[in-house]
Order: sequence, then structure tokens, then C-alpha cells
Amino acid sequence: MNRRDFLKLTGAGSLAAAAGGLGGGLLAPKWVWGATPAVKGPIKIGYQAILSGTLAGYGEFHKMGAVMAIEEINAKGGIAGQKVEMEFRDSTTKADEAIKNARYFVDSWGADYLAGIDSSGQALALAPVMAQLDRPLMVTHGATEKLTEEFVFKNGVRQIFRNCMPTYNDGHAAAFIAKDFPAVKWSTVSPKYEYGFTCWKMFQDSLKGLKPSVQFVAESFAPFGTTDFRSHINTIMDAKPDGLYSTEWAGELISFVRQAKEAGLFEKVKYVMFPVGAAMDVLEGLGKDMPDNIWISARYFFQYPNNKENNDWVARFNKRWNHYPAYVSETAYSSIYAYKAAVEKAGSKDTKAVVAALEGMEMNSPAGKRVFRKEDHQAMYDVPWGKTKSDPKFPFKVMGDMKVIPAKEYFNRPPFEGPGTTPPFK
Amino acid sequence: MQSYVHVILAGLSSGMFIWLVASGLTLIFGVLGVLNFAHGSFYMLGAYCSFTVLKHLGAGYWTGLLLGPLAVCAAGFVVERFFLRHVYRIALPYQLLLTFAFVLIFDNLVKIVWGGGALSPPSLSFLGGSVPILGRNFPVYNLFIIAVGPAVALLLWALLEKTWYGRIIRASSSDREMAASLGVRVPALFTAVFVFGTWLGALGGGLAVPYVGLLTPGMGETIIIEAFIVAVIGGLGSLKGAFVGALVIGVLSAFGTRFFPAFDMALTFILMGGVLLWRPQGLFGATR
Repeated sequence: MNRRDFLKLTGAGSLAAAAGGLGGGLLAPKWVWGATPAVKGPIKIGYQAILSGTLAGYGEFHKMGAVMAIEEINAKGGIAGQKVEMEFRDSTTKADEAIKNARYFVDSWGADYLAGIDSSGQALALAPVMAQLDRPLMVTHGATEKLTEEFVFKNGVRQIFRNCMPTYNDGHAAAFIAKDFPAVKWSTVSPKYEYGFTCWKMFQDSLKGLKPSVQFVAESFAPFGTTDFRSHINTIMDAKPDGLYSTEWAGELISFVRQAKEAGLFEKVKYVMFPVGAAMDVLEGLGKDMPDNIWISARYFFQYPNNKENNDWVARFNKRWNHYPAYVSETAYSSIYAYKAAVEKAGSKDTKAVVAALEGMEMNSPAGKRVFRKEDHQAMYDVPWGKTKSDPKFPFKVMGDMKVIPAKEYFNRPPFEGPGTTPPFK
Repeated sequence: MQSYVHVILAGLSSGMFIWLVASGLTLIFGVLGVLNFAHGSFYMLGAYCSFTVLKHLGAGYWTGLLLGPLAVCAAGFVVERFFLRHVYRIALPYQLLLTFAFVLIFDNLVKIVWGGGALSPPSLSFLGGSVPILGRNFPVYNLFIIAVGPAVALLLWALLEKTWYGRIIRASSSDREMAASLGVRVPALFTAVFVFGTWLGALGGGLAVPYVGLLTPGMGETIIIEAFIVAVIGGLGSLKGAFVGALVIGVLSAFGTRFFPAFDMALTFILMGGVLLWRPQGLFGATR
């Protein structure tokens, strides 16, 4: 070993470490600058979700996932060697509150990365603001396809990503499942806002494309906050359909199922689909009252994929929170790991670098492999559909007869307009 | 025919359900002159307390319905005795703000005590299930609500019109000073009326447990709007008006949802606007 090699091994190493420790002190010789950490800590993550009102439970579920990710990451040395901090704020359901939170996170608190957002309306309102604030935002629940198709793809708001299933799963994938049923006459009870209308239209368009003999015989849309679905149930029962498709979700789905059951709807209508029925709040809330043989899905379901990574995660989650992970817990958890992977890949927490790293990035997560589509920043991954069934191991109904339609078969394709961009692809 | 009957039944049960909540609100406004925004919170607390008695004390539904609302009366007492009493003399908006503050406090309290998620009660053994009416099932519990509504109305009417307490309450609400000078302890009477109104709201909450089938923090905020609409249409402070208003709104919105789905949200507000233009004091309201 000559003198130069020796210096390289010991002197440079310790000098670099000392310089790093001083945060690159003024006295450090020029050539050591390269060894100071490129990513300076602490790394700040601003997370917002609904913590008040009738959907307050969602915020708690987000929090469990996000907090768990940060605990794990910090225990293993943080992101690029830097400690991670999170501030969690109540987004409510109003657009201006989401904007206020985002501004606070970036302008006052100094957040490097934002995540969360339950409502599609908030996601759409935030999009132009995120372009100004210039921080990456990972949407973990708001599902509207317009966010990625219009704001990211067409208007070029590159700061926005989404790691949860978009409305494609609730609309198109449901149609791919429904095409194999003998049911011909379909009906819906759905939320009386954008989400409910969009999903029903997607379902109708794809199902018509896959099975031209279907008819759509009744639709009833319930305003936000509906607790009494009895008149809506009357509308459906008067039309005597074979199939019912409903994008009601959370507490409203629980009330709807209870009331529909009392009215005998599930005895008359044999094919029932709840695209967000596999949410843990719904399954736990209904318990044994959830009828069997209802087709359900979600943005993630804790029994899928049945592999080591997911099963271990569910076990860790259960140990930490005494709860099964809800789908927003998984997307919250994965949103933090996606940022970690992106920062470490980019070697920087600069928005531009992180966005570039996220584009096209592949990651493993409890939900399986996710790929962030370069064109519209939507994560492609697979979630199951299945029929509700009892299982003595669980106090609630779980998913049997799982069917998985690969995301690429039913996700809208860029450029999102014109023939051949929406399924069924010819 | 089947459809009309079921739409009417659905309308009657939802109308009677709103009436149960609106009755306490109307009574408190009629006697004390307070627009109590926190009434929805008493409804919510009534639901949570009844649920807790039902679930954790292993008691039956009826015990829960009896004890739950009684527990909420304590909250009503504190709100009136230590807070509202001091703002009777100042303008109405301040009372609204104060009671709205309680809405936020109670919402957070519920989240701290019961957690942020939705709670789902077990299904009832008694009064559960449904009966076939003209070939379609209708829940027994909703028939029960349709019966409870008029029963509560009748009891309130008898209390106010036929008893000595009722006379004192009516006297104090029309002229506080005169009643006081005749020896009525008006502050204590107002506290009692407020607590009684609280109990009515909490009873609505207890009855909501199987009706809605779900408890969520913030459940009171949805119902308070409907209760206010009903109270305004009927005439603020008029119990008869609130009863009729609730019936009309319930049946109208059931018909709207079934036959004019595009307007179901608007119908209620069109009706309210129409009534206010034609009779600003409401259907049965006294001109003040």
C-alpha cells in the first residue's frame, strides 16, 4: 500500500465524515464537499386526511399506515441517512381546507413531500396549487381519473402522483367481472356527486362494450350524508333488475346494506357489486350482517397478494395497531416508501429530481408490484375482486373466489381520448 | 300501488324520525328563545351513550334507550346552567356561536372517547326484521318509529296544554318578568326545559341506533340541518308546526327521490323558500 492509497482509506474517509458532521464546515477543503450528504435532514412529510365529521375514521386509518412507515424507516436510519418527520393535519372534505393545509405544510412548516387526500374534489382543487408550491404530492385515496388524465397528462402538473387505484377499478374492472354473470338488467344506487356518476358511466360503457345485450333499467343517486336509503331501495325494487352496482362507500354503504337487507333486496337481486365494499371499515362495520356472495373490491385488500411480503406486513400492522390494515393504511404506508425510494434513487430531495425518479419507478409494496406510469403518474398495480364469505378466523366477512384482472387490461390509456384509449381494448 | 305505499311508508318513517329530533329543538326555541345548534350533538351523544349501555353493560336495547338519553341530560344541564344562561340577554348570533362551539367540543369528545371510526350496532332481536306489506318487505323498526312520533307529539301536547307545569312553562315563555314576579323561579324552570329538550334530542339519537344502523362522529351535523328546516317551515317554536313540517318534508323527499330524482335535494329547499315567501313566520308560527 502506498501513501496515496493509505490517505484515501483513512484520512479522506475520516475527513469526509467530520465534514459531514459539521454540515460541511467552512474550513473543509474544497474536495470534501462531494462527501457531505446531498440530502439534508430532517426530511419533512406533510400528510393530510379526514379527521373530523362522519368520515373521521379514514384519517385514523391513514395515520396508522403513515406512522408505521416512518417508525420503520427511522429505526433503520431514515431516508438517505436523514431522520423523517411527519405532520398530520385534518383535511376535512372541503377543497379550501386541503389548499390551506398544503400551503401551511410548504410555506410555514417547510415540507419536502406531501401525501394523503381523501376526496377527489380536493385532489382536483389542489392540482394547480401544487404546481405553484412545487413539491411532490402523492394522492393516496382520491380516485378521480381526471386528476391524472387532465392535470398531470394534459396540463403537465408533474408534481402530482397517485399510488391508489383510480376509478378504473370501480368502473371498468367491475364491468369485466360483471360480463360473466347471467344478469342482463342492471341498476345502481350511487353517490350523487362526481365519483358516483363517473363510475356508473364507466361501468355502463365498458359492460356495453363487453356484452352488448345488457340493459340499464334504474339509477338512484343519494346525496352525500344520506342515512336513509329506503326511497332509493324502492326505486331499485320497482325496476326489478338482475344486477345492482353501487359505489356507495364507508358509513353510507353500511347503512345502505342494512336497509337493503331489511327490504329483502338481496333476495330479489342476485348479482350485487360493491367496488369499495372490501374496505375494512365496511367489512368490520357490517360484520355478520354483510350478506354472502356479494362481489367486492377496494384499492387494496389485506388478503392479497398472498405472499410473504404482504403477510408479514399485515402481521406487523396487526401487532402495532391491533387492527387489520384498511386500504388507505396500505396506500399511506407505501406513499412514504415510494418517496424514500425516489429520494435515494435521485440522491436529492429536490422536487425536480424526485419527480424524475418517481416517473416510471417500480416498487415492491404490501399491495404487490407498483409501477408509476410515466405519462400520467398513476401507479399500475393489481387488486382482487371477490365474493363475500364467512371465515371462522375473522369476525367479519372476507373475500372468496378472488379474481384478478391485470391493471393493464382495464386502465385507460394515454392519450385518454379517442378510440382505443378506454377498455375494452380492441 | 305497491310502490306508492312503500314510498309513503318510507316518507312517514323518515319524517317522524326528524320530528323526534326537531321537537326538542322547537321546544327550546319556543320557551327559551335559543337557537340551539348543539341539539344535533345531544342527538349524537344520545346515540353513543345508548350504544355504550347496550354494548358494554350487556343491557338490552330498551335499557340503553332509557339510560343513554338520561346520561346526556347531564351535558344539557351543564350547557344551560353554566354557559347559555349568561348569553340570553345578548343578540341571537352570539347564542348560535356559543352553541356551535359546543358542536365542535362534543364532536371531539366523541372522537376521544369512542374513537374516530364508525361504530356499527348489533342487529335487534326484538323489533328487528321486517314484515311483508303488499309483497315487499318493510322493516318493523320503521313501523315502530312511525308510531313513536305521534306518541311523543301527543305527550308533549298533553304536558304543555293540560298540566300545571305546562301552564307555568307557557306563562314564562310569553312573559318572563311577569312570571317571575308571580313567584315562578324562571331560571330553574328554563334549565329544566332545556334539559327536557336535551333529553328529547338524545332520545332521537337512541332511537337512531337501529334506524340508521351506524354511529359516526359528526352524525349530529347532518340531522341538525334537517331539524332546522323542519322547525323553520313549521314556524320556529311551534311544536304543531314542527310535527306537520316533518311529515311534509319526509313524505315529499321520499316522493322526490323515487319519482323526481333530479330534484330530490332541491324539493325541500323549494318548499322552504315557498313557505318563507308566503308566510315568513312559518306554517304555524306566531308573528313575533
